Amino acid sequence: MSQLDFNMLPEDCASTICSLTSPEDACRLSMVSSSFRSAAESDLVWERFLPSDYRDILARTLKPLKFSSKKELFFLFSESILLDGGKQSFALEKSSGRKSFTLSARELSILHGNESNHWCWKSLTESRFAEAAELKTTNRIEIEGKIRTQMLSPNTTYGAHLIMKISSQSFGLDCIPSEISVNVGDNVVTNTAYLRPKDETKQQMQSLFYANRVQMLKMRVNEGDERLPVERKDGWMEINLGEFFSGAVDEEITMSLMEIKGHQLKGGLIIEGIEVRPKN
Amino acid sequence: MIVLNSSDGATFEVEESVAVQSQTIKHMIEDNCADTSIPLPNVNGVTLARVLEYIKKHAEAKDDEEGLKSFDAEFVKVDQASLFEIILAANYLDIKGLLDLTCQTVADQIKDLTVEEVRAIFNIMNDFTPEEEAKLRNDHAWAFE
Repeated sequence: MSQLDFNMLPEDCASTICSLTSPEDACRLSMVSSSFRSAAESDLVWERFLPSDYRDILARTLKPLKFSSKKELFFLFSESILLDGGKQSFALEKSSGRKSFTLSARELSILHGNESNHWCWKSLTESRFAEAAELKTTNRIEIEGKIRTQMLSPNTTYGAHLIMKISSQSFGLDCIPSEISVNVGDNVVTNTAYLRPKDETKQQMQSLFYANRVQMLKMRVNEGDERLPVERKDGWMEINLGEFFSGAVDEEITMSLMEIKGHQLKGGLIIEGIEVRPKN
Repeated sequence: MIVLNSSDGATFEVEESVAVQSQTIKHMIEDNCADTSIPLPNVNGVTLARVLEYIKKHAEAKDDEEGLKSFDAEFVKVDQASLFEIILAANYLDIKGLLDLTCQTVADQIKDLTVEEVRAIFNIMNDFTPEEEAKLRNDHAWAFE
């Protein structure tokens, strides 16, 4: 028998094959030939790339989504979508279909968050949520967010990131590092991060006059990497709080940042939320 | 015992408990179409023999996960034409495990390949007009970064 032509495979076999590749591969495959395209764009393929709970997610969207194929829905999901009345946002990673969630600042536990002499809530154009939290003044920063792994893609390592920025009138945020942690059930992994990089001239001044005091305060903080905030594409900064694995068993993940060991007053920290996304 | 007849006249005997891994055969037995033998005009002898090898192994070594995994890995080490024949047979006979295994094998072969490489492997002609091709590439630009 002469070499079997791919075109002799019935379309649903060709679709099954495409569904076992990846969203990225399926898009490339739709360019091979018109029959490949028909197979690669079918609902059979894209339903497999959508998360298994996509219907539940659809029920939670703030605005109803309009789509005429599963492929279209997949690409709608790959842009950030607001869920639960705008309290969280959700997106799929285009290349793999893995899920990310961002908890808004309102979804987090922020110590004294509802006390207007400590924190205020603002509508910012650059925020994807209705409100972001801005710190007016406090000596204790305690921010915590929780998520359950059953909401996430299975068999995936996730990173948790605090999305924030610093206002021009900030103070007290670069004194000592904050303690960050990601807890999976009872397993706690801690580290440290600065809320803002130190100003060089300020550092020199500090070491002239306050060296001892700063040293003493810093010694109270646990050992860690002293991570710095990193710039994001959306104009915010982020601090990597840690990572965790989303496995077969549903577990609660607690992600937190605390700066409570420096007794100085702090202000000017703006919180957008905590993003949980697959680690590359 | 069930008797199966391939498209080219070969005859195979297999136990009913093994044969029902094929949903197609299972329905035929349930509908009483299987009194003497079951004709399978869509599957040739060589391919049917291979399919039976698969379902026999999966029936007898049902709980041996490791053993089945290595069996499956060896089973798909065949040339492309034979692989496609097995896919067609698994599809027609509705044997989910075999269909998934063979489709996954082909999927693994085409993952991460360029469009031209996929055409070469399967000897497929590009039947898009230059305009259609340009539009498709534009729509899916992100997949080519």
